[in-house]
Amino acid sequence: MQRQPTLLSSCARAATAAEARYRITAPPFTRRSSRVIALDERAAAVVEQMQLAGQRWSGGHFLVFDSAVPDDALLRRAAGGTALLSEELDGADTVVMVATAQASAEAASIIGDACAARSIMSAGLVVPEAGPVGEVVSALRPNAMVLVVLQDAADVPEVLSALRV
Amino acid sequence: MLKQEINELLTQTGPGTPMGAMFRQYWIPALLAEELPENDCPPVRVKLLSERLIAFRDSEGRYGLIDEFCAHRGVSLWFGRNEESGLRCTYHGWKYDVTGQCVEIPSEPAIRHSSLCAKIKLTSYPLVKIGDVLWTYMGDPRTTPDLPQWEFAHVPAEQTYTSKRWQECNWLQALEGGIDSSHVSWLHSGGLKTDPLFKGARGNAYNLADRKVFFEVVESEGGLLIGARRNAEEGHYYWRITPWVMPSFTMIPPRGDHPIHGHFWIPIDDENCWTYSYDYHPVRPLSAAERQAMTEGHGVHCEYVPGTYRPLQNKDNDYLMDRAAQKRGDTYSGVKGISMQDASLQESMGPIVDRTKERLVSTDSGIIMARRKLWRAVEALRDEGVRPPGVDVAHQMVRSAAVVLPKDQSFVDGCGDALRVRPGEKHASV
Repeated sequence: MQRQPTLLSSCARAATAAEARYRITAPPFTRRSSRVIALDERAAAVVEQMQLAGQRWSGGHFLVFDSAVPDDALLRRAAGGTALLSEELDGADTVVMVATAQASAEAASIIGDACAARSIMSAGLVVPEAGPVGEVVSALRPNAMVLVVLQDAADVPEVLSALRV
Repeated sequence: MLKQEINELLTQTGPGTPMGAMFRQYWIPALLAEELPENDCPPVRVKLLSERLIAFRDSEGRYGLIDEFCAHRGVSLWFGRNEESGLRCTYHGWKYDVTGQCVEIPSEPAIRHSSLCAKIKLTSYPLVKIGDVLWTYMGDPRTTPDLPQWEFAHVPAEQTYTSKRWQECNWLQALEGGIDSSHVSWLHSGGLKTDPLFKGARGNAYNLADRKVFFEVVESEGGLLIGARRNAEEGHYYWRITPWVMPSFTMIPPRGDHPIHGHFWIPIDDENCWTYSYDYHPVRPLSAAERQAMTEGHGVHCEYVPGTYRPLQNKDNDYLMDRAAQKRGDTYSGVKGISMQDASLQESMGPIVDRTKERLVSTDSGIIMARRKLWRAVEALRDEGVRPPGVDVAHQMVRSAAVVLPKDQSFVDGCGDALRVRPGEKHASV
């Protein structure tokens, strides 16, 4: 097979600021469908505050783990009302669990397993409230592809904003 | 995704900018010691943080980093004569010492020399040799921090090697590549099998066998610890832990008994940066083969356009893209060498990438947190005068690690002191 020669200047030209203005501006994606689920009541306060703060989110649902039910879990919507985990995961592409030291391993396990079964990306944000977080980090580890241990709860909205929740 | 104003806040480092003010809190690499190899050697143009400077080494071996241009008529002192303890402008003979103080104006009557000279002083910054690097501090002299304590710069000379290369993009997108562990299993997969400074480690097998990486990001005093885990033997994870110390130091987790390596990214201006790449071993000299591999551009180093610090593979020659090697799988991207695989892609994003358009995923959490910490530190410095993380030398005493731990153990607990410098003790590596 004849090899196509690479033009000597192609990268040099393509990587300039001047060429950047020819980049296609149409967003190459549709809106993300994220679920932010607080695993305990302290984390719920963080999540509910974000729902109330008036920040414009990109369609993310803010939820609180309430209890386990057979083959599912009951969630509380920060905006009001309840939903089953299975209903919320239908159509979701990312789940972010928010937890403090009070979070239960059971909640992390139920949500993590449900995400894995549906091939949904799962992440965990551990907020440094209510004591040492070692146990909750261990509980989340098998259930989240990414775990971030924060020093400041104020960073939670920033992380979620960066992820276009 | 980052708002445009925050992108500008973090990427602009010139005088008077908030991020520039933060960079000016640190001792940063200014040039390699090899660039000023002897007393009265030729001066070297240096551009740092969008300031044009000239570096020289005077007749007594003192290093100077001063404003590049003569106070008289604005001539570049790169054309100067470095002689008799000063750098003399070749236009009219004005002479400056390493502090930028004018010490001679030959055209003026002798009686006026001292008083006129005393009033003429170019901006200057301290320049100190530690290890293979000449370091400078470009901030307020009244708050000069302690000299840097990075381990790679303090081990004996036979245990360390540092190179640098010109990278043609903003410093932040280069740094972000350094804390993005998820790209290693893809972009650098060829190098794990073939690079003499990487191959042969037991850990490489874990890397290649399990491409589904899980991440844990933990804040540290100086920045972040980014743990990437893969499956190992039953009941265990293989962890690779990368420390990032603010503003732009990273250390790549080691492989076997190979030397440890990492980078500093230092802004030249807002569209170019220097990548300083170091390799060192905490307890033994680098072997002749290792040092040769480094000078030949293996590992994190690169080959150069002769006589320069510009990589031989650069955007003017399409990084010597080899599509046949890409197709064969010799390299994943077709670009040879770890460092240029990174640089080629980072430069392709443009001089300053538009972060309002990116679509980050949760595996980018290390990048998200690094930006957040930089942003927070910049604002704390600007609004409250808070000294940023990483200035304190205690924050600099870090090591990366590669370890196998039981699944229920956190990498922070499992590594313990292995993530800190332990003089005379080997690094934790598999």
